[in-house]
Amino acid sequence: MKLTHYQLFCLLMILVAPVAFLETPHTLVHVLYANSWLGILTAIIPGLLLIGMYQYIITKSSRPFPLMLDEHLGKAMGRIIGMIYIPVFIIVCSYTLRLFIEFMKMIVLPATPISIFIGVLLLVSFAAIKTGLVNLARVVEIGVPIGYMFSVAILLVALFCNYHPERLLPLGYINYWSLGLATAINISFLSKLMPVLTLAYFLDKKQQAGSIQRWVLALFIPLITLASITIIITRGIIPALTMTFPTFATIRLARIGAFIQNMDIVLVAIWILGIFGAVTIPWFMACYVTQQIFALKDYRFIAAPSALIIGYLSIIICRNNLEVVIWSRTLIPWVYGLFFIAIPFIIFVITLFKPYPLDAGSDTANPDTEAPPV
Amino acid sequence: MRYISSKKNSTEAETPAQVVAEQLSPHLQENIDSLKILLQGCSDVVLKEFTFGQPATRGLMLFFDGLIDKNSIESNLLKPLLLELNMRPEGGNMPDPDILGFIQEKVLPLAELKTLETLQEVCHHISSGDTVVLIDGYSSGLLAGTRSWQGRTVQSPENELVVFGPKEGFTETLRFNTALLRRRLKSTSLKIESMVLGRISKTDVVICYIDTIAPPALVAEVKKRLEGIDIDAILDTGYLAEIIADNKWTIFTQTEHTEKPDRVCGALLEGRICIMADGTPMALVVPVTFPEYMISPEDYYIHFIPASLFRMLRFAAFLLALLLPSLYVAVITYHHEMIPTPLLLTIAATRQGVPFPAFVEALLLDATFELLREAGLRLPRAVGPAVSIVGALIIGDAAVRAGLVSTPMVVIIAFCGIASFVNPSYNASIIIRIARFGFLFAAGILGFLGIIISLILMALRMAGLSSFGMPYLAPIAPFNLHHMGDIIIRRPWFNNKNRPYMDDMKNIIRQKTETEKEGKQ
Repeated sequence: MKLTHYQLFCLLMILVAPVAFLETPHTLVHVLYANSWLGILTAIIPGLLLIGMYQYIITKSSRPFPLMLDEHLGKAMGRIIGMIYIPVFIIVCSYTLRLFIEFMKMIVLPATPISIFIGVLLLVSFAAIKTGLVNLARVVEIGVPIGYMFSVAILLVALFCNYHPERLLPLGYINYWSLGLATAINISFLSKLMPVLTLAYFLDKKQQAGSIQRWVLALFIPLITLASITIIITRGIIPALTMTFPTFATIRLARIGAFIQNMDIVLVAIWILGIFGAVTIPWFMACYVTQQIFALKDYRFIAAPSALIIGYLSIIICRNNLEVVIWSRTLIPWVYGLFFIAIPFIIFVITLFKPYPLDAGSDTANPDTEAPPV
Repeated sequence: MRYISSKKNSTEAETPAQVVAEQLSPHLQENIDSLKILLQGCSDVVLKEFTFGQPATRGLMLFFDGLIDKNSIESNLLKPLLLELNMRPEGGNMPDPDILGFIQEKVLPLAELKTLETLQEVCHHISSGDTVVLIDGYSSGLLAGTRSWQGRTVQSPENELVVFGPKEGFTETLRFNTALLRRRLKSTSLKIESMVLGRISKTDVVICYIDTIAPPALVAEVKKRLEGIDIDAILDTGYLAEIIADNKWTIFTQTEHTEKPDRVCGALLEGRICIMADGTPMALVVPVTFPEYMISPEDYYIHFIPASLFRMLRFAAFLLALLLPSLYVAVITYHHEMIPTPLLLTIAATRQGVPFPAFVEALLLDATFELLREAGLRLPRAVGPAVSIVGALIIGDAAVRAGLVSTPMVVIIAFCGIASFVNPSYNASIIIRIARFGFLFAAGILGFLGIIISLILMALRMAGLSSFGMPYLAPIAPFNLHHMGDIIIRRPWFNNKNRPYMDDMKNIIRQKTETEKEGKQ
């Protein structure tokens, strides 16, 4: 059984949207203040270029990531870089987990030890990896439409409950360096689409991954723009700058019928599903890359040992919430930039000078029972 | 030494297992001796020896009392052989050598007559209510279809009540049940293939499908799984459901149980397969997906708009029955900021003096509700409902007065109980009842986080299941927009052109379009 187009769309959406929903508006407010939402719109063209680059690599490669590294960089170099990606995916997974846990500790259950959160989330993601990518995709395809629609609805309710459009002013008063920086931040979040270099090979026709990625972009941009605009309109710039997670603080303002209030907790509950996806997919990638690099029979048995590493790493990766925020603005964009943009860009440049592989449409595989063609 | 051992063998009594495998002997006395070994201790067996015709021929008639129609035996077997044969112009003379053929073709006025060769066949058929006639000099027996026993007539099924549509339900007699299907689908495409399962029970099991629609691979798979069963007895289709399921270690049942022939016919027309067994009114339908548990056959008998609204109500009720107590516990215990202040004060006032945390309170009440429900089922019909209602009222009221539970919790559990009855499938309500406790525990420990984690785990488990290869959550996951049109809402009949898709289905067209009709003309 292969992934359907809709399943790939949902997997990619859950990979990029939940963390960006929490982090991007906050980071952009610090860079562009009242015009932070413009920084998201300017990311459309670079986002399309990034997607075009990934898709070009997919079309020009007969094998999925990480085996495409062998194909384009040579066996020795390909294997070395492939091995480097294993800790990269584990770090991304641990960081996402820790970010979520810090958020949970601050907003939802302050008295609960972080080890409980880590254990519970790792358990769920472990179960997902053990049961296979197709199962994960099926769960995600239930959660994504619910989560997306609910997020948009609740943001709109919050927006119209505290509607102060004058807070968007001064409009267009932007420092171009800051605008470039904001665009780069957005693109670094979008670069989390990079696992498509593997996942596209689980489709019936990998060529169709391009349009799926464009759909992801088409829904990602409005969601994050809406979140950014809502924060500014409802809270204003100064309070937004002082808040650690302004998106959820904004949603707390939503009231329905003078009865339903503090709905942020409901959104958090749905958002957990998003974080589950955002943690599980890099984890899956770490296991899958390990399997492919070392030519192992299955990737699932790697889930148990890697769970210990991810759990431990997510505890030691940062000492407190402040460090998590600093990481999110300093190290993490560079990690994304180097491994999800720069290295794929080198491969893209190499593939420019290579012919299209023969029979490019049929070399796809079942994600759970067979490895993609080697 | 050889002499001693052979002598020893010859004196050993034959066991029933050895005897039953034997062919019928041409000597009647030997057959009688063998049958006496086999039927030792069967006080309800009747062995009637008689002599008939010219030259006088010995015969034996055997049947189990209570399973046969005595009138039929007397008028269709004994009377023709013992009386009418002698009154014929030939004066009772029978053509030699084929007496058996002569009796079968010219003497016995029965519709169902066939020959048997082994003692095993003899035993199987008399156990099923047939009568067997053995004649001296012939190594074949004659089977006469005389089955008749006291059974329930066709009644309305108690577990699947409907307002609109057919009210008939299956009975415990397999042949009546197949007739109920045949009466609705008057086509030779409806195939009813039978097999016998159970080493001791020898239960007749049938597989029903429409061979112009059902996927051949599915039919073959069902047959293969049923033929692979080697068990002593099949007393209900529940045995089969558990044995043939794709995934056995799960609370999520992968077969649909129904007592309604119209529901089975609807499923057959969608390319599914029905399995029925003698002795039970419950038919199994495979494959089935979880969202289909929310569909009632009645949906298709009423206008599509109310039907769709009722269906949505059922989905909502399913979620409420599953999650309401746990959501309440999570909000009360961890997220009380969600509750508006006046309501929070009201709830706090009612909870004042309650010694248990909300989680324990919910667990106690829910367990009590389940006890009452179970007691209501087991008690005699005359007192059952009264006891459960009175019990609920008295226990609920007394528990609130004693300060053991709060009033909102009683309301929540009662509401949840009502919501769980909305579901048309008993299987789905069992799943809800079990899973609800898991969600309660999760909510008690981690609040909303626990509920969502449990939901993800449940979804992961369900996503990994399949029913005869069909994904258990289809058409929600994997998502299929076309089929979703008949899951959350009921697709109008005028727009219901195709059957729900299954791999390999022979004919997907349910309703022809105008162009197709014109093309045919």
